[in-house]
Amino acid sequence: MTVEIDLTLNGEERTFEAERSDSLLDVLRKNGYTGAKRGCDTGNCGFCTVTVDGESTMSCIEPVATIDGATVETIESLGSQDDLHPVQSAFVDNAALQCGFCIPGMIMRSRDFLEENPDPDREEIRAALSDNLCRCTGYEKILDAVEDAAERMDGDTAVAADGGQPVDDVSCSGCGCGVNDE
Amino acid sequence: MSKPDDAGSSERQHTAAAESEHPMEWDEAPNNRKPASDRQTISEREEKDDARKIVTGESKYTADYAKHFPDLAAGSVLRSDIAHGRVTEIDASAAEEMEGVYAVVTPDSEEVPDKPYTSSGQPYPEPSPWDLHVLRREVNYVGDPIAAVAAVDGDTADRATRAIEVSYEEEEGVFDTAAATNPDAPQIHDPDNIENHQPGADYERNIESHIEGEIGDVAGAFEAAADSDDRIVTETEWELPYQSHCVPEPHTTIAHRDEDARYHLITSTQVPYHTRRQLSHLFDVPIRDIRVSKPRIGAGFGAKQSMLIEPITIALMEAAGRPVKLETTRREQFYALRSRRPARVRMRSVVTDEGDVEALDLSAVTNSGAYGPHGMTVGSSVGSKPLPLYTHAPNIRFEATAVHTNLPVAGAIRGYGAPQGHFALEGHMDEVAHELDMDPLELRARNRIEEGDIDDASGVLSGGEHTRRIRSCGLGECIDRGKEAIGWDEVEQPDEEHLHRACGVALTAQKSGVAGDELGAAHIKMNEDGSFILQTGAVDIGPGADTAMAQIAGEVLGAPPEDVLVQPSDTDVSPFDYGAYASSTTYVTGQAVKKAAEKARTQLLEFAAKLLDEPPETLEARDGAVHAERTGESVTLEEVGYGSIYGDDERAQVMGEASHSTDESPPPFGAQFVDVTVDDRTGEFEIHDLVYAVDCGVAINPDLVEGQIEGALHMSYELAVSSGYSFDEDGTPETLGFRDYGMPTADDQPPIESIIVETHEPTGPFGAKSVAEIPVNGVPPALSNAIRNAVDVRVSDLPITAEKIEAKLDTADEAAD
Ligand code: FES
Ligand code: FES
Repeated sequence: MTVEIDLTLNGEERTFEAERSDSLLDVLRKNGYTGAKRGCDTGNCGFCTVTVDGESTMSCIEPVATIDGATVETIESLGSQDDLHPVQSAFVDNAALQCGFCIPGMIMRSRDFLEENPDPDREEIRAALSDNLCRCTGYEKILDAVEDAAERMDGDTAVAADGGQPVDDVSCSGCGCGVNDE
Repeated sequence: MSKPDDAGSSERQHTAAAESEHPMEWDEAPNNRKPASDRQTISEREEKDDARKIVTGESKYTADYAKHFPDLAAGSVLRSDIAHGRVTEIDASAAEEMEGVYAVVTPDSEEVPDKPYTSSGQPYPEPSPWDLHVLRREVNYVGDPIAAVAAVDGDTADRATRAIEVSYEEEEGVFDTAAATNPDAPQIHDPDNIENHQPGADYERNIESHIEGEIGDVAGAFEAAADSDDRIVTETEWELPYQSHCVPEPHTTIAHRDEDARYHLITSTQVPYHTRRQLSHLFDVPIRDIRVSKPRIGAGFGAKQSMLIEPITIALMEAAGRPVKLETTRREQFYALRSRRPARVRMRSVVTDEGDVEALDLSAVTNSGAYGPHGMTVGSSVGSKPLPLYTHAPNIRFEATAVHTNLPVAGAIRGYGAPQGHFALEGHMDEVAHELDMDPLELRARNRIEEGDIDDASGVLSGGEHTRRIRSCGLGECIDRGKEAIGWDEVEQPDEEHLHRACGVALTAQKSGVAGDELGAAHIKMNEDGSFILQTGAVDIGPGADTAMAQIAGEVLGAPPEDVLVQPSDTDVSPFDYGAYASSTTYVTGQAVKKAAEKARTQLLEFAAKLLDEPPETLEARDGAVHAERTGESVTLEEVGYGSIYGDDERAQVMGEASHSTDESPPPFGAQFVDVTVDDRTGEFEIHDLVYAVDCGVAINPDLVEGQIEGALHMSYELAVSSGYSFDEDGTPETLGFRDYGMPTADDQPPIESIIVETHEPTGPFGAKSVAEIPVNGVPPALSNAIRNAVDVRVSDLPITAEKIEAKLDTADEAAD
């Protein structure tokens, strides 16, 4: 059964058509917001973490029907590649990423956490990130990045100027699959 | 096989042939060995080329391409829920009638190939047995694929899959390797349905393969030791369970036909070229009519060396007549796809009371699970990777038996057999040290491999015929620096009487690619603005291989790495590559990139020579320009680029291409240290620090190398403390998610310190060896050794838990009373 959902998504009023059984992650990904990743669909990995009404939320277990009217922020709402949010630039500068599959969720979690606790120690960071798994990094450089981000966030927080729209894709010339456009 | 006259002699003589076949000197290009001060882009902590798109969420993985296919169907797979038996009926009528279902395929569908194949993702001809079918009626584990559905969306496909009714004729299953080799055990495979070229197969006893080899005379050494009072004989046994790759991005494939009706797959693979070839054989489609594109990959760790869902996706795409995306679930990842194989390893040794190792005998039984991909080759690595650590031992024997059970299928996973072998060998060495009452580091120092050695232990399966020269070995420095960092000599005991603190160590080795069985190729071309496009078949699955390749090319061409754009591998576009496995990418493909860049450099210098009016051999490319030594003048790479393409007289694009294949596979080395405190009342333990020092030759990018160490140590730590799946008595899996399984979180993970010890490997690009797998080998033995040192009990079966330690402490107490 289809329902209509109103959300404030990355600062814009949006209305989405969704199946009643859809999760927030389903709706985001179907509508081009593919920054949040699906790693388990059961609330166990955190790769799908987005911010709902200011709180880090695993979007794969958030039934979309229950969050009508909510304010949602995704990774697309943070900085752009030339103008990164301090948490994003801390991850880049600390080499705190490998395959990157966990990173959008990890960054949203870290951003929300640092807004609540701007001056955490390493143990607090470990605890705060424990709902978000990472298989590649052993967490070591991610912890460094979040410590570093805490310092950087004393300053400004860049927000994407385009209101966090997904970047338009240019199809590849071969067959329309778009595979070479990254 | 060369047998020394005196089996008890402590030095083995290498034949003059081995000495001359593998000279210490290597004919190395003069630019290959650069002191740190001359390096431009290598050894730099370059930003990973995809870092910015990763942090903005713009990096695109297979599932993110769905939006390019408006009529994309979603796939779902029906898997066996019995461990052993036969499907007698598949009733798909209800599923087929459901709204939104486009196709249901079963083993009888014409779109589903009906011939055996292997999922192994190995070069041709694959050593692994051809024992799989795309969909099957004879089922051999809970998870075997039986049918699949393509539907309008994932939800409908899943519901339709559940609506398919399957009737089974169930047979008795066997879930343990010891029981499986019993002649009365249920037989899992009929050899008539399998093509298996591995040695030692005996399907009546569920044996997939058996291999063995010996150097010297091991039985003789044990006999001699029995009669002597200055030699000790030690025997130990070790056991390891399943481990999941926990690959972050579940295997995902999109299959469609392009406008030329060719098969095009966008797929999460480590081996695009092997996948293309294997699909061609399976579907009887010419290789040229298949294109495999690798987008960004959410890591592999060996999981994606297997071709697991591509064939089902193609069958669904053909049956549905539209593009199909098949995305596996996390549950499937745990029970139905691939895992690290459980193993039982027995170690025996003869050591003199001075501490010289005279004989090592390693015998392993690995559990392949239901099918055989990588069974023999992983089995061989259990011995051939760690045993070279003690290559001076004059007598070495090794055997490995791969056994089938009705449990999940084992495959390739980071370490590839080496973690199983290291747990046994390095745990055993510590037991020997305890018996001798010798410092475990002293025992290792007396016996370990060194630079200049001719190593035949890696060729033990050939009876020592295959040897190699160790041209770089920084193990001594790894030990010294690791020891210092962990505080080996200054462990302070906690004030509480029930707490005991100690350190443990384990040495580690691996390889750099498969000796004599690799090919990497590269093509590089210069744009008019002085930038370069580099194409390689190297498959960056996350660790940053593309960035390392750009650094290697940049070092040769004098270009900043960000001006070398590396294209993701695509079988239509990229040069050939065997794929991302066996720690081969930097060592093998990196050398192809270096050679290709050198060819481009020669042309680049010729153009620059004209612009500068100086002979090319006097020019140097660095910092984005070409400099004339004599005049002090320079031209930018951009000027050379424009000149080469739009110049007045000669025009030619600056381009280079090269292949690299080699018989060399130099081992990286490393030393793992663990610092632990154990509570003798409960067995609970806390790891204060994991220190790992590695010799990977010259680190092309220290950030990326540390990333490999830290990530592999995380997996090694998990193998040590939380690996293993549970099953009910019918072989039904009970470990189905990250949390049941216990993948360590940021909160669980002990701190990691990584130390890079530089050596120079003359056969590698700018002196590099591999690093991706080696650090996964050390935590289980080093932790077990540390606990033994702390509270004098040995946990020899993984995972190491407080309960096991407590039980052993209780037994020890009872014995003492
Ligand atoms: S996908 Fe949402 S927690 Fe794993
Ligand atoms: S970077 Fe790969 S899972 Fe975190």
